[in-house]
Amino acid sequence: MKLSALQLSNLNRRSNSFRSPLDSGDVSGKSPAALFWLAFHVLCCLISLVLGFRFSRLIFFLLFTTTTTTTTIYTTTPFRRAASIVTAGGRALPFSKPVVNYESAVNTTTVKASGVVVGRHGILIRPWPHPNPDEVVKAHKMIERVQMEQRAQYGVKNPRSLIVITPTYVRTFQALHLTGLMHSLMNVPYDLTWIVVEAGGISNETASLIAKSGRKTVHIGFDEKMKLSWEDRHQMEARMRLRGLRVVRDEKLDGIVMFADDSNMHSMELFDEIQTVKGIGAISIGILAHGSNSDEELDIVQKTVGGNKSSLPIQGPACNSSEHLAGWHTFDSLPYATKSAKYIGDKAVVLPRKMEWAGFVLNSRLLWEEAEDKPDWAKDFHNIVTSEADVESPLSILKDSSVVEPLGNCGRKVMMWWLRVEARADSKFPPGWIIDPPLEITVPAKRTPWPDAPPELLNNEKLTNIQESTEKRAPKTRAPRSKHSSRKRKHESRSVHEARSVDRHISVSSTVKE
Amino acid sequence: MERSKKKLQLWKRAAFHFLLCFIMGFFTGFIPTSDKSWTFFGNVVASTQSELSMQPLEISSYHTLNRSLLDGTHRAVLMRSNESLQTGPSEQEQAEEPGTDKLSSRRLVIIVTPTSERNHLREVLLMRLANTLKLVPPPLLWMVVEQQSDSSQVSEILRKSGVMYRHVVFKENITDLEMEMDHQRNVALNHIEHHRLSGIVHFAGLDNVYDLSFFNEIRATEVFGTWPMAILSANRERVIIEGPVCDSSQVIGWHLKKQKNHTADTTKSPLHISSFAFNSSILWDPERWGRPSSIQDTSQKTMKFVEKEVLEEETEVKGIPAQGCSMILLWNLLIPTKHPTPPHASVASR
Amino acid sequence: MKNWRWGFAGLVCFLILLRVEANEHRRGQQTERISGSAGDVLEDDPVGRLKVFVYELPSKYNKKILQKDPRCLTHMFAAEIYMHRFLLSSPVRTLNPEEADWFYTPVYTTCDLTPNGLPLPFKSPRMMRSAIQLISSNWPYWNRTEGADHFFITPHDFGACFHYQEEKAIERGILTLLQRATLVQTFGQRNHVCLKDGSITVPPYAPPQKMQSHLIPPNTPRSIFVYFRGLFYDVGNDPEGGYYARGARAAVWENFKNNPLFDISTEHPTTYYEDMQRAIFCLCPLGWAPWSPRLVEAVIFGCIPVIIADDIVLPFADAIPWEEIGVYVPEKDVPNLDTMLTSISPEVILKKQRLLANPSMKQAMLFPQPAQPGDAFHQILNGLARKLPHDRSVFLKPGEKILNWTAGPVGDLKPW
Repeated sequence: MKLSALQLSNLNRRSNSFRSPLDSGDVSGKSPAALFWLAFHVLCCLISLVLGFRFSRLIFFLLFTTTTTTTTIYTTTPFRRAASIVTAGGRALPFSKPVVNYESAVNTTTVKASGVVVGRHGILIRPWPHPNPDEVVKAHKMIERVQMEQRAQYGVKNPRSLIVITPTYVRTFQALHLTGLMHSLMNVPYDLTWIVVEAGGISNETASLIAKSGRKTVHIGFDEKMKLSWEDRHQMEARMRLRGLRVVRDEKLDGIVMFADDSNMHSMELFDEIQTVKGIGAISIGILAHGSNSDEELDIVQKTVGGNKSSLPIQGPACNSSEHLAGWHTFDSLPYATKSAKYIGDKAVVLPRKMEWAGFVLNSRLLWEEAEDKPDWAKDFHNIVTSEADVESPLSILKDSSVVEPLGNCGRKVMMWWLRVEARADSKFPPGWIIDPPLEITVPAKRTPWPDAPPELLNNEKLTNIQESTEKRAPKTRAPRSKHSSRKRKHESRSVHEARSVDRHISVSSTVKE
Repeated sequence: MERSKKKLQLWKRAAFHFLLCFIMGFFTGFIPTSDKSWTFFGNVVASTQSELSMQPLEISSYHTLNRSLLDGTHRAVLMRSNESLQTGPSEQEQAEEPGTDKLSSRRLVIIVTPTSERNHLREVLLMRLANTLKLVPPPLLWMVVEQQSDSSQVSEILRKSGVMYRHVVFKENITDLEMEMDHQRNVALNHIEHHRLSGIVHFAGLDNVYDLSFFNEIRATEVFGTWPMAILSANRERVIIEGPVCDSSQVIGWHLKKQKNHTADTTKSPLHISSFAFNSSILWDPERWGRPSSIQDTSQKTMKFVEKEVLEEETEVKGIPAQGCSMILLWNLLIPTKHPTPPHASVASR
Repeated sequence: MKNWRWGFAGLVCFLILLRVEANEHRRGQQTERISGSAGDVLEDDPVGRLKVFVYELPSKYNKKILQKDPRCLTHMFAAEIYMHRFLLSSPVRTLNPEEADWFYTPVYTTCDLTPNGLPLPFKSPRMMRSAIQLISSNWPYWNRTEGADHFFITPHDFGACFHYQEEKAIERGILTLLQRATLVQTFGQRNHVCLKDGSITVPPYAPPQKMQSHLIPPNTPRSIFVYFRGLFYDVGNDPEGGYYARGARAAVWENFKNNPLFDISTEHPTTYYEDMQRAIFCLCPLGWAPWSPRLVEAVIFGCIPVIIADDIVLPFADAIPWEEIGVYVPEKDVPNLDTMLTSISPEVILKKQRLLANPSMKQAMLFPQPAQPGDAFHQILNGLARKLPHDRSVFLKPGEKILNWTAGPVGDLKPW
């Protein structure tokens, strides 16, 4: 506006200079002078038109300034608006992409008069509504940065590495359980080594699963098939954990060893809490014991602990009033003595052992051979690991349980849960959870595209085949929905094979063979 | 003397013309035009002009009461924005870097999780789901619904998770668990509708376990997405796999649990609630998807609407993952909690 | 015709001038800010630097009013009551009026609540006037200065203008009798009739115990980008929209309701305080008045306050470096809020958060019971102490009168 006004003034001045000879000279010479005069007249008319227009705009703005109804819609370069925030000391922050001069873009709007304005203001609504994806990314990076800073400032200082030992084996519930555990471990902000001991030897199934964790993994095969009875399974798992501990000893892994079953669930606070352990520590486990009484129902067994009627049963250290280890909370299995599940898949309550391994953490240095000034109990521990004897729990190794450090506010805080849910032992599942061959159609798609699709696009021969197979495969649905059956079809999915073969070749990051 | 008089007359006439033009110009200034071809005036004028044309839209009173008016005006403004975008240099700039950073164009995923106090594993499972969602690359918004209560357990777990979430509470007391779950989902959908959040909505029950690639896959959803899921039950032999049967990403049929009682049960969708995702804009911008806007009235039945849409608009339903939707990325552990045991299953004893 | 020529030229000049002026004005607005010093002034101890004499008033001016409605102890304007209690037991109090630097009149002018708990200031001018009449007739000190060495707590929306509607408040202006006194008020806006020079702007009252009880561990990850709970439209009082919050709150809603980064809603959750502690930015837009209790809450909970209130004068701005802990967003820039906030570098954010974590900053925002060193009471006293010694001009010559006792609306002149 300033610019145009200046142009106008120039024009005006020029016109004046033109006019002065006209004033003095005669206008009798009609042809060129009059023509010029006419043109000039028209030009001036145009100029005044423009001027009038500008003036009206000005009036308009003045009008809105006085009534202070701001009406602004930004029109230029929405996503790249360079605005400035005045921060410390009135400095304007340098923007990453200053493209448009913000002031010039808005200066035609309202200028708030100094002093107080009372009255109606416009509601500024910008024309670009949705968040700018770049800004969303920036905001999330900022949140991440802030959370990192919070961890650095208030979290564990000089964290030690964690060594997680997990016994597992291929079964229907493995993917579900192991994925859950894996996600917890992936969130751990400390250095972590995950030792996975697999019964029945290393399988691609397990390998491809744990490869997704992106953490340091050690995948060990255990040359025994997993047993069918809970009792045997438990003993075998204990031996598998000892196998894991041997790796810790042999490789001299430094850090805190924890035992995580694939079906355990963890609160992230647990990983901070166990950082404080010096020798061997115990944590409480919430027992989610369940029984499947009827086909549909899965009971969560309720039990009382310490008079608190409605809380879940807990297994773990118990303290006296002076915050010293006084004993152990154990799961009272008496009421279920006759109803407990013997074999995997039994429809009865699966009971935890007296003390679950998962409730213990220990300093890996206790396992090292030549670690000097080890206490006596640590030597026992070391021997046990070497001999791979049957051990019920770390507690049974210790002659004097007073060395155990009760963690988690003396076991009052539960940060880990124990749940054993399994399918029946003979349960089958698609290998790698890839559906091949494709599922049968039980409900037809209402609007399958092929009847409308041009026939040349489809192989007729194949089509008839498919139709036949569909009819064979889905006889039940055919009867009530016969009018749909002709529209059904099924395709061989070629891509599935490809996807699967890729999946099978996922390499294991590091494998220790025994 | 006469000549000067004549000249004066001439000047008077000229001045009159100028004045006339000036007034004309003055009044044209007040006429809202959207004509963008007035390049003569340069950039500044063009911008003020479009600005002027906005004003009638803008000044119209905004009532929270009058939603429809508000929405109408809003949309009008948006349309204008597109128009002005075409003239501005921004479009060129945008075109120059067409998502150079692929991360920046990631769609928002809205995870809706209903939680009931009656689920005794609620806190533990919530923690497990939170651990999973924390690993999903942003942007993700987790909407956790809960009945209003004095207990702060759910808020505490959510707070510690570090996930961007909205904790939505409702007051109604519903006896039937299934109906409560549906109500909770509706509450979440109403929130999405009210805020006009734009993203891919998925209902994640607490008993679901996800493969992380699942969240990448559903970002590809345009309108509706569906995938097979495995339903595992304890101590059973059979693994139930439900979901679409696809040719590439085209859904050609469904593999669903047979209805026990009646085959033509239309009231209950045979589709598992966690086996599909949809673009949230169908909630608040149905016209965009060629649907009548009447669903606004039946906000109580939003859930039903969505389920119905998935089954009706099969051509718009995309199978996930795109390679014949043959990969299970989602497991559901069946833990029915029907029995009437004491409701306060506190996880941590304090 | 020459006239016309000049007319054109003049018009052009006029237009140019206007443009330039407009530009300059804008620039002036952006740089003109309160200079914030480092927070070390916050640690000053006012004891020994000033002496305050508390007038003994009949209980109908204070205690009786409170008895009538105990809710006055918890609402935003409770500072007037707590300040009185604090001064009664404070070491700066003197019982000898001759040695006093400041005189305090304990009158609870805003403790008149509607059934809904909203304060009505209609009786306040009469009450204030009555109290001043009382002290000026019973003691010689008022007449000595006509109030220039007296201070009053006027925490209401628009301070001593005593009206909740800004238009009316401006019309009324500061109560005539208080025009020489020092006002301690929550209201603060530059160039506003209701804020006179030398006033001390204080934070609104927020219940300290309640806030403390909602503190969560500082390592709770901050997962909200922008947080706000409160009204966007005040449909009851502003059916048209555009008056309330000068349209700024409505603009926040209309522009950002669909942005998942903006956790904004009208619903007040039970976890309000907790949520502020896990947010990075907390919006503090103006309401009917520019100040808001959110300012206090944001500072207490370490959430960077995003101040949307043009020309606001922030509490203890001479002691608290608001520029460094908060973000100012001009009302006209609300539509760019997301761009502005996301373009702040993470380092700046972390620095602001570190400053906010400073306990002395938090302390200065609160009126705890009993008082603690560095709290808002002490900051008020510090502010009063910094005004000492009084200029000689505050003392009137014998017989001199400046205040016009009969000025003001007729309604205010009625006896209370």
